[in-house]
Amino acid sequence: MVTRHAIAYGSRIVAGVTPGKKGQAVEGVPVYDTLKRACQLHQVDTSVIYVPPAFAHDAVMEAIGNGVRLILIITERIPRLDVARFLKVAEGEGCTIVGPNSVGIINPHDRVKLGAIGGDNAQRCFAPGQVGVISRSGGMTAECSWMVKRAGYGVSTSVSIGGDPLIGSPPKEILKRFEKDPQTKAVVLWGEPGTSYEEDVADFIADGGFTKPLIAYVAGNFVESMPEGIVFGHAASIVSGNSGRPSIKIRRLREAGAHVADRFNDIMDILKEVLG
Amino acid sequence: MARVLENVAKEILKANGIATPAFAVAKTPQEAQEAANRIGYPVVVKALVTVGKRGKTGAVKFADDAREVQAHAQTILGMTVRNFPVEALLIESKLAITRELYFSVTYDATRRMPVIIVSAEGGVDIEEIAESAPEKIVRHHVDLTLGFHPYQAKELCSAMGLEGKTLQRATQTVYRLYKNFEKVDATVLEVNPLVLTEDGGITAAAVLMGVDDDAFYRQPALADKVEVGTDRSWRPLTELEKEMVAVDAAESYRGTARYTEMEGGDIGFLCGGGGGSLLAYDSLLQCGGQPANYTEFGGNPTETKVAGLVKGVLSKPGVKSFFMDANITNNTQTDIVAKGIVKAFQEMKIDPTKFPAVVRLAGVNDTEAKKIFTDFHIEYYGDDISMEDAARVIVDRMKAVKRE
Repeated sequence: MVTRHAIAYGSRIVAGVTPGKKGQAVEGVPVYDTLKRACQLHQVDTSVIYVPPAFAHDAVMEAIGNGVRLILIITERIPRLDVARFLKVAEGEGCTIVGPNSVGIINPHDRVKLGAIGGDNAQRCFAPGQVGVISRSGGMTAECSWMVKRAGYGVSTSVSIGGDPLIGSPPKEILKRFEKDPQTKAVVLWGEPGTSYEEDVADFIADGGFTKPLIAYVAGNFVESMPEGIVFGHAASIVSGNSGRPSIKIRRLREAGAHVADRFNDIMDILKEVLG
Repeated sequence: MARVLENVAKEILKANGIATPAFAVAKTPQEAQEAANRIGYPVVVKALVTVGKRGKTGAVKFADDAREVQAHAQTILGMTVRNFPVEALLIESKLAITRELYFSVTYDATRRMPVIIVSAEGGVDIEEIAESAPEKIVRHHVDLTLGFHPYQAKELCSAMGLEGKTLQRATQTVYRLYKNFEKVDATVLEVNPLVLTEDGGITAAAVLMGVDDDAFYRQPALADKVEVGTDRSWRPLTELEKEMVAVDAAESYRGTARYTEMEGGDIGFLCGGGGGSLLAYDSLLQCGGQPANYTEFGGNPTETKVAGLVKGVLSKPGVKSFFMDANITNNTQTDIVAKGIVKAFQEMKIDPTKFPAVVRLAGVNDTEAKKIFTDFHIEYYGDDISMEDAARVIVDRMKAVKRE
């Protein structure tokens, strides 16, 4: 289903890899037993990992081992030790990993979509435009992009970075790319309790690493009035002491010069103000 | 993450070459006394709960004789430690301590590596050490492509100021503790204090362990010993929460669902998406709503799973309405969600014309979803309003009901 939607959208999916299924085809895409064979016969630059958690580590290693430079991991619930292992290897090899637990990446202008993002009706939320979107939540990647569209704009690229405790590309890493991307004029960041991603973004802006307007919303204020150490939402969404508190993230982002929306609906007005 | 009870953690460490005090579990003062007699006095009587910092709440006491054990057991069994009623005790031999060290290993989310933290100033919380003697905290990030080796354990112990035989013994213990962290797929392993005893031994006196529930498929022995979902609750799971864990587990291959009961509240609340659920809950509170529960699901669940969840949401006492708020879905089939919700209403014989029910659900197959909801008279919204707007609608409906 995902392959069908992605091809219909315009993505060039050249090969599938499933052991034991050599010679078959899915939606017209040839399937191979090994990624090695697929790489010999096709030009592969990106790998999307869908395999069950127990096989994810090996699949990621297979992609790295065959020289794939961008690896998108959709699989969730991969053991943390496995994730830490392949992230370290990828770092050493200079591979970019997005995810685990990402719903995908989409660029409506070039009509490329990786993963389930946008489902069968990507146009609903993702109009081509000049706003980058970054979100730990797959659903909110769509919802934030839809808010951009409702405000009268569109997205350059929307990235679901994954809600797991350990991920390959935290927001700061994606911002580095948006900074260099001429198509992107502003970025919408969806924030959540837990981790120090938003604080890292604030430091990055303050250090001059990201100079375009950043519009952020940090959800989960209610978590601060609950007992500490409880997970709400994503596994990484946990507050302990001063670490991970939405109120601190909001303050830090504002101090660094980001536009932080008090209400989610406000994103639309801020976009109009910023982009004119 | 799932928290592991201390006796289970200690059994694991003991089986892997790490010394622990002699220990036994007791559920009554009588059992406590029998255990203490076997172990030999003096003993420590501890609350056996999965939360840390027990000492501060008075849930750890020393006893020199049977009478004291009885008395302490009585007191601690009547206590509630950070919302967890004490149902069992850990009786341990009291160690002859010469020094208390600190050891922990967990994941550093920023550097995405395991980080080992040790300090020669153990016995108090690491936060306190960080305040009073930050220079006494030693960290080591483990490069998983290279592994962790005894020499690195030795460097850590040396940095703590240990020397001679103690250095050698501590090195072995630190090395084994880290290896255990990997072996059991732990997400946190804290030994505080790690005790140097008068006879020159090194013993894990108090152990806090959390394990990765995503790795249970390869840790079958552990999976039976821990309660899933403990990281999502600040108190023991309620009966309804346990039922919902079972509903989720029954069809674990499709969709994930988590049900948390909130105190009070009258809005039965179901939300889609880990991020969307935060926004929906915040929005409800902002416009004055009182959610009775926090239930999130994602990953395209089956009709049966949705129905099971909705029944849980609606069966909490005090629930007077139903609100579902979800972000626009990427792959969750909204028509299946709609069928699940309608099924739950039908099975519970709830008439949506007399019971406020508002749904905001857009995404895959939402033309069908809209028809299912509308035919069943559940107030439906798609991508015509935002998630925040939808929260306002249910709060308004509740106000109207209360006025009547």
